[in-house]
Amino acid sequence: MRGQRSLEVLKMGTVNYLEALKLQEKLVSDRKLGKITDTLLSLQHPPTYTLGKRRTYHNLLVPEVELQSMGAELHYTERGGDITFHGPHQAILYPIIYLRDIGLGPRKYVENLELMMIELASLYGVQAHAGKKGETGVWVGNQKIGAIGVKISSGFTSHGLAFNIDPDLNYFKHIVPCGIVDKGVTSLKRETNMVLPSEEIIHDQLISCFARIFGYMNIIYNDTYQ
Amino acid sequence: MALRLWASSTTNALGISCGVKASLSPVFSLSRCFSSVLDGLKYATSHEWVKHEGPVATIGITDHAQDHLGEVVFVELPEPGGSVSKGGGFGAVESVKATSDINSPISGEVIEVNSKLSESPGLINSSPYEEGWMIKVKPKPEKKNPVNTAMGFVNYSVI
Repeated sequence: MRGQRSLEVLKMGTVNYLEALKLQEKLVSDRKLGKITDTLLSLQHPPTYTLGKRRTYHNLLVPEVELQSMGAELHYTERGGDITFHGPHQAILYPIIYLRDIGLGPRKYVENLELMMIELASLYGVQAHAGKKGETGVWVGNQKIGAIGVKISSGFTSHGLAFNIDPDLNYFKHIVPCGIVDKGVTSLKRETNMVLPSEEIIHDQLISCFARIFGYMNIIYNDTYQ
Repeated sequence: MALRLWASSTTNALGISCGVKASLSPVFSLSRCFSSVLDGLKYATSHEWVKHEGPVATIGITDHAQDHLGEVVFVELPEPGGSVSKGGGFGAVESVKATSDINSPISGEVIEVNSKLSESPGLINSSPYEEGWMIKVKPKPEKKNPVNTAMGFVNYSVI
């Protein structure tokens, strides 16, 4: 397909995990029917732990009840990837796009998600890099700054990425993040020497990096999605 | 059946559609840039293959598909005795933190699944047409010729 490709961006603020999941399911269905164009959700979650399709429960280091007492939820998903944490001050992007229109397979899609987070980090002088084989994600040294976990259904994507702007990294102590034992997590705030602008600006920059890497020329912002 | 290597990735990338099968000289067949395609299999446009041997159809994904997935770390397959529908999902694989569903090119009853894939999911990458087979199905008879009317079967060299 040639011509200007459109991306509709839904900027949603803080959204409960299950609500975001339900919305993604609806959007994937609408996208499959051609009712909507490629769509990108930009949001944050309240403190939430999630497991992927492989249900790597053994990487949760505390009993589930203890998560509840710290005000965090735990959810099981069908995305790829291991256990992870989402929370305030972590930017989440959920692209609902049709990969076959742009000729991308899963590996290339994920590589592009890594590239866009690396590009964002570089805006703040942070040298991030993609993980080596088997360690998908974006790293600064041995510490992960951006995580990826996606689901692809007949070429239609859901779930996506989480980029640590300045989340409370203590939440990660209760899990083996992404199932990798000897590596930690970090954030843009920790790694940069620059003063960070408002998070809204960083979210917008992430969206721009996404749009550029995936070749969207026409971006429609929807700040009031209900 | 003789194994012939096609520049299927190239035709894919160039968007070339042609019905002529070109054979490659040995120097091209050694290149790792090109996906391999086997004679004797039927291919769906979604990059699954079917091999019919008498009453049993074996299904897997192509070399092209495994290359696009990356290293497979997890495979979810149905139970024997279950049924699959043409175009419907029958399982999923995980690679590079992405789960991708696998669709069946034909309808039928699952009679066997490749249990080696739970211990060795990477067989899908290293041997997509042989040891990386996924399920064996007893095809549901179709009104027309069952071998030729399954979803989107094409001459793979034009995909």
